[in-house]
Amino acid sequence: MPVTYAARHVLEDHISGFEATPNPHHLAILPSPVVFSVLAHAGHESDVEEALDNLEDVHVRVCGPGEWLVVSETVPANTIARQLADLGAADASFVDQSDGRVVLRIQGPKVRAILAKCMALDLHPDLFEIGQSTNCQICHVATNLARTGHDAFEIIVMRSFAGFLFDEVCEMGREFALTAGFA
Amino acid sequence: MTGYRLSSGGLVNRARTLSFSFDGQTFTGCEGDTLASALIANDQMLVGRSFKYHRPRGIVTAGSAEPNALVTIGKDGRTEPNTRATVAELYQGLEAHSQNRWPSLKHDIGSVNSLLSPFLSAGFYYKTFMWPKAFWEKLYEPIIRKAAGLGKTPFLPDPDRYEKAWAHCDLLVIGSGPAGLMAARAAARAGLRVILADEGFVLGGSLLSERVTVGGVPAADYAASVVEELKSLSNVTLMPRTTVFGWYDDNVFGAVEKVQKHVAQPTGELPVERVWRIVAKRAILASGAEERPLVFGGNDRPGVMTSGAVSTYLNRYGVAAGQNVAIFTNGGAGYRTAADLVASGVGVAAVIDGRAQSSDVAPAGVRIINGGAVVDTKGYHRIKGLLVERMGHQEDIACDALAMSGGYSPIVHLACQRGAKPAWSEEHQAFLAPDVGQGLRIAGSAAGLSSLAAVLRDGAEKAHEAVGDLGRLVGSVDVPEVEGEYDASFAPLWYVPGAKAKAFVDFQNDVHVKDLSLAQREAMGHVEHTKRYTTGGMATDQGKLGNVAAIGIMAGMRGVSPAEIGTTTFRPFYTPVSFGAMAGTSRGEHSRPVRTSPLHGWAKRNGAVFVEAGLWYRSSWFPRDGEKTWREAVDREVLNVRVNAGICDVSTLGKIEIFGKDAAEFLNRIYSNAFLKLPVGKARYGLMLREDGMIYDDGTTSRLSDQHFFMTTTTAYAGEVMTHLEFCSQVLWPDLDVRFVSSSDQWAQMSVAGPKARIILEQIVEDDISDEAFPFLSAREVLLKGGLKARLFRISFSGELAFEVAVPANSGEAVADAIMAAGKAHGICAYGVEALNVLRIEKGFITHSEIDGRTTPDDVGLGKMFSTQKPDFIGKRLSSRFGLTAADRPQLVGLKPVDHDKEFKAGAHLLKENVKPSTLNDQGWVSSVCHSPTLGHTIGLAFLKSGRERLGEKVVVWDGLRGGEVLAEVVSPVFYDPDNKKLNL
Repeated sequence: MPVTYAARHVLEDHISGFEATPNPHHLAILPSPVVFSVLAHAGHESDVEEALDNLEDVHVRVCGPGEWLVVSETVPANTIARQLADLGAADASFVDQSDGRVVLRIQGPKVRAILAKCMALDLHPDLFEIGQSTNCQICHVATNLARTGHDAFEIIVMRSFAGFLFDEVCEMGREFALTAGFA
Repeated sequence: MTGYRLSSGGLVNRARTLSFSFDGQTFTGCEGDTLASALIANDQMLVGRSFKYHRPRGIVTAGSAEPNALVTIGKDGRTEPNTRATVAELYQGLEAHSQNRWPSLKHDIGSVNSLLSPFLSAGFYYKTFMWPKAFWEKLYEPIIRKAAGLGKTPFLPDPDRYEKAWAHCDLLVIGSGPAGLMAARAAARAGLRVILADEGFVLGGSLLSERVTVGGVPAADYAASVVEELKSLSNVTLMPRTTVFGWYDDNVFGAVEKVQKHVAQPTGELPVERVWRIVAKRAILASGAEERPLVFGGNDRPGVMTSGAVSTYLNRYGVAAGQNVAIFTNGGAGYRTAADLVASGVGVAAVIDGRAQSSDVAPAGVRIINGGAVVDTKGYHRIKGLLVERMGHQEDIACDALAMSGGYSPIVHLACQRGAKPAWSEEHQAFLAPDVGQGLRIAGSAAGLSSLAAVLRDGAEKAHEAVGDLGRLVGSVDVPEVEGEYDASFAPLWYVPGAKAKAFVDFQNDVHVKDLSLAQREAMGHVEHTKRYTTGGMATDQGKLGNVAAIGIMAGMRGVSPAEIGTTTFRPFYTPVSFGAMAGTSRGEHSRPVRTSPLHGWAKRNGAVFVEAGLWYRSSWFPRDGEKTWREAVDREVLNVRVNAGICDVSTLGKIEIFGKDAAEFLNRIYSNAFLKLPVGKARYGLMLREDGMIYDDGTTSRLSDQHFFMTTTTAYAGEVMTHLEFCSQVLWPDLDVRFVSSSDQWAQMSVAGPKARIILEQIVEDDISDEAFPFLSAREVLLKGGLKARLFRISFSGELAFEVAVPANSGEAVADAIMAAGKAHGICAYGVEALNVLRIEKGFITHSEIDGRTTPDDVGLGKMFSTQKPDFIGKRLSSRFGLTAADRPQLVGLKPVDHDKEFKAGAHLLKENVKPSTLNDQGWVSSVCHSPTLGHTIGLAFLKSGRERLGEKVVVWDGLRGGEVLAEVVSPVFYDPDNKKLNL
């Protein structure tokens, strides 16, 4: 019997063997990010939010009132789980979604023109600031979108929809020669 | 030669000639031409045949309201019928064909219809093809359909790409004419995010066709300078070739952009067309005004155009419509065209002015016939002369083109697409848009203004109003001086009496004055009735050109004001939008989101045939070599699960993590059965009801710790149940401390079922999973050998000893492979949802085939899951309604054919023996059917009135839809292992 089970990223099948050098417009797939859902119990929302903001090397994405996704590329899942458990079960509940969510990063000077083909939100730099995040539909799929840089965004999507979403975003990016690959 | 290109003038690039073909003949045009201007430059005055009478028709306008010049452009999959030549941008190699003619445009057999016209009046079809009734579907309709329609749709796949996109702005300016340019500039200078959209391929609108001086330079140069300024501003988006076709709720505008309609070979990287949804805080409609044709005898002869069109072809394209142009007008516009023609050295035959007198001045040497009327035109394929009548005196006037002007109708369509009706203005002799609020302001000639100076000023002022609305600083209005304006006022002239030939009101639909009269006589006088009866205002032009005249004439016929007639209803789309553009990228595989299970790759490797279940692709069965039908595969899978073991992907079930100190209480109120005391480490099957007492969904919920539950829902209702929980938590019981989140995608979940399931899993799972240590309905986190954490549930949907193993999704395939490897020696097989379905029907387990929104817990035999002890839960109150407790409610039973060789299908109805099928005699219905390989014959689950009391009775399974009757015996719905011996191995 195998003692280790190989983890397979859902988008491995969607990347052709040949990975081009990233163009100015590029869609990067995080190979193994850690993603947790965090839920604040009634009355503890601001405490939990503040505590999340103080976690190191994680990004906190807003999913709704008292609900966040905590994303990290560097901190191991166990560490984050321990830190979240420290908040106390009465304050916050959490669940590991690292296998259930796919994290994509898209960037380029015309990134908003690509995303405008995918979604209805106004992403004007004055209106959607760096660090801001929101739940929204991208290519008809429920996602969480965050602005990570001047012309850079992060998309978190459910694993089962990731293949479809990835193909759609690539299609919308053809006009700007969007490349894609694992980060 | 009549139509020709002037040696100079216009905005076309004479240095770059483009060759194109029309009906197979090759011509050349210039860069900057439309197909229409290039055709006129080549003296192609005849461009099409009319819809009904197949009359020869020429170009009437120079814009998007064109009713006649509908041509087919492109070939093969790129064939686009009914394209208006007046807005089709010319490109090298363009191929165009005329329509609605056979065998050729010049010699069209269909023109015999014109001779039959006395019989083809309005309502002809309605009156003629009434009887015999049976002939309609078989004979009349196919023939009429064949004859109807203009262009022909290609039955080839469209090779091009289309897209849809969203745009956002503070101010959307619709139209880039004088009002639009001033509005966009004023708003842009104030710092607003501005989008300026125009259907034309050059921005500038009517300024491109004017000879006046604006700001000291020619109008077109002035427009270009404003466009340059706008281009230089980062807060402005210019959208040429973009028609704003609709105004929708929340100030969202629909627009279609021609991205690559003007290139011979579109690149695959760009769409050919793109539909925009523009979200605008404010919008300004600067769509201008449409010049109305006059309604006189023979007004549809090729070569008869609006005077604005004649001027536009002359001034913008450097093309003369003729060498000797007559003008028929009821206002100043005709005089302007006369001046334009004379300035370009084109002959003017005469200006026939319907008004007895006016202050308009014609160029020196041009004859004016005041109080005159054109009553007929000469020529067939093109106009050769006119018959003019004044005070009973008739006169022939030779000409090779006729410019007509019947006044102006503001283009108010967009403003009236959301319920507002245009209002008649006696002063403007036109329908104007009412005030539709701050969201959309109407500016310039769209608002009824006629002088260019006033239009320019109005554009800037309306923009300043919008700037003020949005709380920005308003500057001073800056508009240029205009020199050389003419007086654009006009006198009403709806119908020119004395017509000696058909006087058309609607060119596109061949509606003439007599049709309107007939509609009046035949009680079709309401404007909406007249439209349908005569077809006036239908098809691609939607009455842009003819409707107002039709209304004026109807008013005249009744002796009332046009205000009393009113307009027909304005709806999107302003101009036709292709299906391709509306579909965008949503074609084929892209038409809806696809969901794949974490075990998709594993299933594929094992040869699965997939079935679309909602958005999911689920493995349906796993055929092996030699199996010819799906049934062979499914039968083998079922028998193997019953004898050995099988593994099935159940990852698609909805999964919800529920937390909180009140989570147990929350579940207790959600489900109809008890959940408050569910022990940690146990799973329980739960039924949730709707408020009305019907079953909503089912599934298992496990208690993983005191305050952490794990709910599974059916695949189909995963989203709905989540929504339901949110509603209950947020609205019904906000006081309960409970939070939940979907983890559907986190887990790859597989069912390992069959007598050998435990032996196989023991090789994989580190923990003790013996019956003692892990009895039926156990549920907890376990460790797989090698250290991977998993969740294990001892639940069964097959009636066999079964476990569901959930592992993090990315490891799903590896774990499934390991289980297959461990089970190889024990005969494990992969099984799909078809076998899963057979296994559950054999056990009498329900799915949404049974939970179809009409059944209660008692109906499906789960009455004991309706807790009478609990104080309340969703659905409890309404379950006591009489209808839900009636003794003759349909109840779940099993059915097997008396003759085991017979089959029946789900959806069939049940009847007592020897009764006539009728709603009254209906005894129930069959909900699920399969072939049971275990029993060797068809079995079914059904709902039968008082069914549980009727076991042993024989009923007729009547299938009215697919035909056939089968006698079946009513049996227990549990066909297999009724004592659950196999479950508890």
